[in-house]
Amino acid sequence: MPKLSAWCANFWAKMVAPSKLRASMLVLTVLGALLMLPPLVYVFDQTVTHFGIPQIVFYLFAVWLLMIIGTALLARAMGKQPDAGEGDT
Amino acid sequence: MLSADFVIATAVGYVGLLFVLAYFGDRRARSSKRSFLHSPTVYTLSISVYCTSWTFYGAVGNAARSGLEFLTIYLGPTLVFVGWWFLLRRLVRISHDQRITSVADLLSSRFGKSNRLAVLITCIAVIGIAPYIALQLKAVTSSIQTIAGASEFGQGSLRGIDDVGLAFGIAAGMALFTILFGTRHVDAKEQHHGVVAAIAFEAVVKLAALLAVGIFVVWVGGGFEQIFSRATEVGVTIDAEGTFDSRWFTTLGLSVAAIVCLPRQFQVTVVENSDESHLRVASWAFPAYMLLMSLFILPIAVFGLTTLPASSNPDMFALTLPMAFNQDGLALFAFIGGFSSATSMIILESIALSIMVSNHIVMPLILRFGSGGGDGQGMTSLLLNARRFSIVLILSLGFFYFFFTRDSDALAPIGLISFTAIAQFFPAVIAAIFWRDASLKAATAAIATGFVFWVWCSFLPSFRSVSPDVALLLANGPWGIEWLRPEAMFGLVGMDPLAHAAFWSLSANVLILVVGSLLTSQSALERLQASVFVDVFRRGASARGNFVLGSATANDLYFVAERVLGERRAAALFEAEAADRGVEPDMLEPSPDFIGRLERELAGSIGAASAHVMLSKVVSGIDVSLEEMMQMAGETQQVIQYSQELERTSAELRSTARKLEDANTQLKELDSQKDEFLSQVSHEVRTPMTSIRSFSEILLDPAGIDEPQRQHFVSTIHQESLRLTRLLDEILDLSALERGERPWTNVAVDAEAALDRALTVCDALLRQRGMRVEFAGRARRTMVTGDADRLCQVFINLISNAVKYNDAERPLLRIATSVRGGVHTVDFADNGPGIARNDRKIIFEKFSRGQQGASAQAGAGLGLAISRQIVSRMNGTLDLAPSALPGACFRVRLKVAR
Repeated sequence: MPKLSAWCANFWAKMVAPSKLRASMLVLTVLGALLMLPPLVYVFDQTVTHFGIPQIVFYLFAVWLLMIIGTALLARAMGKQPDAGEGDT
Repeated sequence: MLSADFVIATAVGYVGLLFVLAYFGDRRARSSKRSFLHSPTVYTLSISVYCTSWTFYGAVGNAARSGLEFLTIYLGPTLVFVGWWFLLRRLVRISHDQRITSVADLLSSRFGKSNRLAVLITCIAVIGIAPYIALQLKAVTSSIQTIAGASEFGQGSLRGIDDVGLAFGIAAGMALFTILFGTRHVDAKEQHHGVVAAIAFEAVVKLAALLAVGIFVVWVGGGFEQIFSRATEVGVTIDAEGTFDSRWFTTLGLSVAAIVCLPRQFQVTVVENSDESHLRVASWAFPAYMLLMSLFILPIAVFGLTTLPASSNPDMFALTLPMAFNQDGLALFAFIGGFSSATSMIILESIALSIMVSNHIVMPLILRFGSGGGDGQGMTSLLLNARRFSIVLILSLGFFYFFFTRDSDALAPIGLISFTAIAQFFPAVIAAIFWRDASLKAATAAIATGFVFWVWCSFLPSFRSVSPDVALLLANGPWGIEWLRPEAMFGLVGMDPLAHAAFWSLSANVLILVVGSLLTSQSALERLQASVFVDVFRRGASARGNFVLGSATANDLYFVAERVLGERRAAALFEAEAADRGVEPDMLEPSPDFIGRLERELAGSIGAASAHVMLSKVVSGIDVSLEEMMQMAGETQQVIQYSQELERTSAELRSTARKLEDANTQLKELDSQKDEFLSQVSHEVRTPMTSIRSFSEILLDPAGIDEPQRQHFVSTIHQESLRLTRLLDEILDLSALERGERPWTNVAVDAEAALDRALTVCDALLRQRGMRVEFAGRARRTMVTGDADRLCQVFINLISNAVKYNDAERPLLRIATSVRGGVHTVDFADNGPGIARNDRKIIFEKFSRGQQGASAQAGAGLGLAISRQIVSRMNGTLDLAPSALPGACFRVRLKVAR
C-alpha cells in the first residue's frame, strides 16, 4: 500500500514534458474518434447485454467515459506545468 | 392534471427568477473579479447551453425513431473538447488578442478586416438559425399543450388558441425577455456576465430535471435490464447495423462544426472566456455534462415505446411518462427543465446574433452614411437599439419558419438543418487559424457557394409539407431537370437527405476554399492578419499587428473612445495609459502602441472592421496605416528608381562631353595642321611664281637684254612653270591619297618588273648624273599585292631622291631585293650624305627637304610623303634601314601575294 500511494504521489508530482502531454492529447482525440467510427465500432457490436444494456450502447458510453477521464488526467497534469500555456501546437 | 394557467404562471415565474439572477450576477461579476461567477464551473455550465430542448425532447424522440444516432450530437463536441489544445485553445487566444466578438468578427478580421465577409456570415447565420429557434418554439408549444392536456379543465386560458397563437405568444415573450436581459449596456469585451450566470443556473436545472425523469423511469421500469428485455419482447430493438452509416458520419461531423461555429457556442466558449485555464477544466467537464444528460435518453425512449400508446409523440416522452404515472410534480419539473433549455438557447442565440448584426451591418452603415449620434452616449444607444431590433427580427424569422413547417413532426431533423447551415463556416474557421494562404476571395466564395447548396438541398425541402410547389420541385427538379433535384443532385439518388445536403455543400465549400486560395492573391492587410492569426503562439506580447501611427491628438482619440465605449471606460483607459507613462492625462501623446490598443478596445464593442475604419478616419495627418506604409514604400521605391535614372543619364552626358572635348581637340589640331599645310603650299607656290614674274617683267622690256640672255630667261620661266605644275600635281596626288580618292585595288603585281621599269624611266637621269647602279642581290620574280603603276612611282621617287641628294664624287646606288617570310624587301642604298638622326622622322612629312646635298632640281618635298602613303595603302612599309654605304638606305617592304 505505501508503495502504491507513493507511486500515485510521484505520478502527480513529477512534471511530464509538455510535448508528451500534447502528444497524448492528440492520441486520445484521434483514438476516440476512431473507436466511435466504423469499422472499429463494429468490434463490440454483438447481441449481448452487459448489466442488461445492449453491448453497443455500453461500448459507446464506455469509450465516452474513458475519453473524459483521460482528458481530465491530462488536463490536470498540464495544469502542473507553469509554462504549458505558451507551447505551440 | 395541471392546468395551462398554472403551467404558464410557473413558466413566467421561472423566467422572472432568471432575470433576478442575471441582474445580481452582473453586479457581482463587475464588483469582484474573483467571485464564483468567474470560475471554471460557471464557464462549463454556460457551454452546456449546447443542450437545448433538442436534447431534452428531441433526442428522446430521435432515439425512439432512429436508435443510437442521437449520440453523435454529443460525441462530436466531446472530440472537440478532448482535443481542446489544438483547436479551442487557439481560437480563445486569437480572440482574446484581437478582441473578437463573434464568429463573423473572427473571419472578417482574419481575412483582411473585410466587412463584406462579415455581412455575408451574419446573414447566413440569421437565416440558418431560424429553423433552430423554430425548433425551440415548437418544443415549448408542444410541451405546454402536452402538459396542459386535452381536457377542458386543463386548457384554461389557452382555450381557443391553437399552436400558432401559442408559439407567437411564446416568441413575443422571449423577445421581450431577451431584450431586457441582454441589451442593457454595451460591454467592452462583449461579455455578459449576468446572462452567463443565468445560463449556468439553467444548465443545472435542465440536467437535474432530465436526470430526475431518467432515474424515475429506470426505477419504475425495474432497472436497465428489465427495460431493455421488455423492449426486445415488444419488438423494439436497437438496430446497430443500420446505425453507423453515412448519417452517423454526417451528424458527427456537423456537430463538430456546430460546437465551434454556432453563434451562441462561440459566444460562451470563446468570447465569454476570461481565463484560458478554464478551458482546461471545460475540456473534460463539458463532455461529462453531456454524458450525464444523454445517459437516460435511451432508457426513456425505449420505456416510452413499450409503455405508452403508439400514437404518442416520442419527443414528449419526458413529460408524458411522468404524467402517465401520475407524477405531476415530476412532470412540472420536467416541463420547467425543457422550458429552461429552450429559453437559454433563445436568449443566448439572439444576443449573439444581435451583436453580429449591430457590429457588421448597422455600424458600417452608420459609418458610411452618418455621423452617428452627436454626443458621447449616441453611439452606445444606437448600438443597443440596433441589437433590440435584431432580436425582434431573429425571433420573427424563427416564428415564421415554425409557422411554415409546423406540419412536420419531429424536432431533431429541424435542428440538423440549422447545423448544416452553420457548418458552412467551419472550413473557413479552420483555414483562418491554421492556413496562412487562405484568402478572402476564396473564403467568401466558398461560404457563399456552400450556403447556396444548403438553401437548395436542405432549407427548401423542409417546406415540402406546406407548399405543393416545393413538393413538385423535389420530385422532378427545376424545370424538369432531374439532376438538379434538391435531394438527389447530380445523380446521387437514394442518399439520405441530410448526408446528401451536407456532402454537396461542404464539398463545394472546401474545394472552393482550397483551390480559390491557391489561385487568388491576398492584400497586404490580409497577409498581416494571417500571420497574426496563424502565429498566435509564436509571437510575443509585442507584435500585435497594428501600425497606425498618428499625429492625432489625445483629444480626438478620446472623443471617439467616449462615443463608443462610454465616458467611464474611455476615461479609465486614458488615465491608465497616462499613469503608465508618468504624465498628466491631458498631456498624453498617443503612441502608435496606444492607438493600436485603443483600436482593439473599440473592436470589442463594434467589431474589428468598424473599429479600424473609425480610427483611420479620426487619426489624420501623418496617418500611416499599413496600406499607406506600403504605398509610401512604393513611392520611395519610385523616387529611388528615378534618381538612379538621373544619375545614369548624367553619367552618359559626362562621357559624351568628354568625347566632344576630345573631338574638339582633334579638330583644333587638324585645323592647325591645315593652316600649316596652306602656309607651306603658298610658300612653295610663291617661290617659282616669283621667278616667273620677275623674269617675265625683264622680258617685257626688250631693250637692255641680248638674245642669249633672253633665251636663258625664257627657259628659266619654262622650267619654273614645269616645277610649279609638278608641285601642284603632287599636292593633288597626296591629298587624293590621304583622302582615299582615286583608290585602286591591290592585285598581284610583279615587283621586280616594276623595279626594272623604274630603272628604265630613270635611266636618263642616272646617266646625266653619272650615277652607277649596283645590284647587291636580286630576288626571282615575285608577285606582291599592290598596284603596278603606283609601285613604279614609288621606286622612281626613291631612285630620283638618291640621285638628287647625292653629292659624292663617284655617286653609287646599290639596290638589293630579297624575299623572306612572305615579305618582299627592296633596299635603295646610296653613298650620299645620308640622313641626320634628328631628321629621320621628319623626312617622311610634307614639305620637308633634305638640307645637305640638295640640288637645284629639288622638288617640293612631297615625294617621300606620297611614297609612304602609297606603300601603306599596299599594306607595306617604307622606312630607313641601316646601310653598309655611308649614305641613306630606304627600305620598301611588301606582302607577297598568295
